Amino acid sequence: MSTRDLVLAALFAAIIVALGLVPPIMLGFIPVPITAQSLGVMLAGVILGAKRGGFAVLLVLLLVAIGLPVLSGGRGGLATFVSPTAGYLVGWLFAAYVTGYLSERFVDRSQSSIVQIAGFFLAALAGGVVVDHALGVAYLAWGTGTGLMTAFMGDLAFIPGDVLKALIAAFAGRAVMIGYPLLPQRA
Amino acid sequence: MKTLYVEGDTFLHRLSPRVKLVALAFSSLLLFLIDSPLFLAAAAVCGGWIYASLGLGWRQSLLRLRPILLTIAIVAVFTLVLNSPGQALTVLLRLTALALLAAAVTATTSTGDFIDEITLAARPLERIGLVRAADLGLSIGLVVRFVPEVLTRYQAIRDAHHARGLKPRPLTLAVPLIILTLRNADEIAAAIDARGIRAQK
Repeated sequence: MSTRDLVLAALFAAIIVALGLVPPIMLGFIPVPITAQSLGVMLAGVILGAKRGGFAVLLVLLLVAIGLPVLSGGRGGLATFVSPTAGYLVGWLFAAYVTGYLSERFVDRSQSSIVQIAGFFLAALAGGVVVDHALGVAYLAWGTGTGLMTAFMGDLAFIPGDVLKALIAAFAGRAVMIGYPLLPQRA
Repeated sequence: MKTLYVEGDTFLHRLSPRVKLVALAFSSLLLFLIDSPLFLAAAAVCGGWIYASLGLGWRQSLLRLRPILLTIAIVAVFTLVLNSPGQALTVLLRLTALALLAAAVTATTSTGDFIDEITLAARPLERIGLVRAADLGLSIGLVVRFVPEVLTRYQAIRDAHHARGLKPRPLTLAVPLIILTLRNADEIAAAIDARGIRAQK
């Protein structure tokens, strides 16, 4: 990894941390505040690609592990890694990597805007929703012994919000790609 | 940024970070392998005793542990409703014990000690060429350094919205924030290289 890649990942990790500290943003059309931190994870993949995006999230997780209260609501410390929802947290790492990997493959600078947005959306959906929730549910079911079905029922409530975040990530990803292209292009 | 580390001179503070982390990993394994409610209850009480021995006081302890204890309580209630009371008790005791032990390690290990451990743990990864161990410490420092700056920038973008009578929306906030922040990468990277901080071996 070049120094620039390292710095990009560190800056994005700082953005993810900052997104956990700002008050939740209200969406225009539904009266639900969204916490922006998991949006930041999808954005890391969409904007930086697999390797740097994954590294950015890894840095956030390391900050959590060393006891900095960097998660939304001032959570942090090793205890978060043994909490029932730890699967979602560790899942971020894979979410960012998968989102980035797919973004690099789906999206090309020569495509039309609608194709680019659709590509980013599918990538964020696969990483941020499918992968993250699968790991979250798996750990919730295993760690608490509640069984997969119960864990999945509890998980369902959070899926619409995360699908919405994937959509926001797709639009933001395209806007950033126009303004300041960083996503590695496939050879 | 304020860390969750607490200054002090208790037995746990003096224990080497590696011993604490290994002990934590070992006890989490044990807690997940053993289902006996009696053992789990003893572990939870033990965890509570260890955490209390740090001398944080009730208020401070509650403030720190509230988010995770709340999550555990919610899961326990869910288990109670959907599964059995026995299972709910197991979940409650096991996760509470773990959370208390982990929180105790976090409260007694300084950030610097943690970074040293991480760097050491990354050595094997360095050997297979995955990551440079020294890079981890450097990047963690960078993140901590830039969080306040990102927050200031966020505030400025929010103010710009208000000044123009626009409602802040996720997209109109996130995009300028990201572009403005990442645009600094070249300068920062050049500064790091100019100082030879990441000297090529």
